[in-house]
Amino acid sequence: MGMPVTARVRDAGFRPGRLDAAFAWLRHVDRLFSTYRPGSEVRRLEAGTLALGDADPLVREVLERCEALRVQTGGAFDARAGGRLDPSGLVKGWALDRAAALVAADSLCLDGGGDLVLRGGPWRVGIRHPLRRDRLAAVLELREGAVATSATYERGEHIVDPHTRRPPRRVLSVTVTGPQLATADAYATAAFAMGAGGPAWSAGLRGHDAMTILEGGRVLSTPGFGGVPAVAAAPAAA
Amino acid sequence: MKALAALVVTVVVVVLLARFETEPPRTRNPNAALGPVRTPRALARPAATAAPDRRSGEGERSFLGPAMTTPFSAIQVRGFFTGRRLTGVETVLLTGDGPHTEALNARAEPILRESVLEAGSADVDVVSGATSTSRIWLDSLQGAIAEARRGR
Repeated sequence: MGMPVTARVRDAGFRPGRLDAAFAWLRHVDRLFSTYRPGSEVRRLEAGTLALGDADPLVREVLERCEALRVQTGGAFDARAGGRLDPSGLVKGWALDRAAALVAADSLCLDGGGDLVLRGGPWRVGIRHPLRRDRLAAVLELREGAVATSATYERGEHIVDPHTRRPPRRVLSVTVTGPQLATADAYATAAFAMGAGGPAWSAGLRGHDAMTILEGGRVLSTPGFGGVPAVAAAPAAA
Repeated sequence: MKALAALVVTVVVVVLLARFETEPPRTRNPNAALGPVRTPRALARPAATAAPDRRSGEGERSFLGPAMTTPFSAIQVRGFFTGRRLTGVETVLLTGDGPHTEALNARAEPILRESVLEAGSADVDVVSGATSTSRIWLDSLQGAIAEARRGR
């Protein structure tokens, strides 16, 4: 997964040890899904030394959801977009959703590389400016839910359009809010990969809202973006 | 929010899932010449510093990582440690403009609200958008961790 995970808890008397189960879970996920560890199940599936039927049920569950998302997004979300098996685009959000459920705290924010699971707000969430990283492009106030932002930033254009195998043009960043980070993050990745067609696609997502920042500084938002996401809304995918 | 903050305890715990020290992330950037330099340059040596006032936890110490730069940005982080545990990370230096981009003339989709990108600053709890996944952020944090280990 290659990223730090930060937990913020607002809870009088909270002890950091109450986060241990959540972080143990994340380490377990990393061992199964890491694309950097040669012995991870994902790497062994890729290498052909592990059959899908013998993989951990969690791995099979994630790959099934990846496939459902690939279909739902018309191929814009694709765990094999780079030519190798890399389900990280779903794993991170999926793992953080479950990690949040393992923390007994009234007010919690899990931050996985700028993608967020929120509970017990209000949480004031800044959306990073895509060109000036010390500035914010927008501020949201959320009670609970998830916020995911896909962008290029300084690591380079790390999302490719599976159809062209090239980075999408015209889009600087896409932020998606919704009830679960797994789907919000995957949708943000997909909408970003769609390039200029992403905003219209994002407007059709049930239970989610999106903000797309285009080259030239145009910002296109769905009507509900900026509000509090529907808590009980079912995710539209998988 | 300030009134609320007086009533609650904020705990920050960080776990690094990255294994970036053994194998660098592969890049998919076909325009590598336009991307960040492969080896970020350290501007300053890490140094042990006193924890700021807002952190008064017992036995907590902080170490500043090196300031790391790419052609587009500079990042420096401070790690907070309680015993051997990394209990907080603060980004203390963050600058940079992205590459200039061309203007786009396209229709807005009717259902979407259109606005103009602004560069604001505000008091927020957390930021969405992946600075902390950047290689230089992790490099600076790694420097702070190494300094903390040497410091004990």
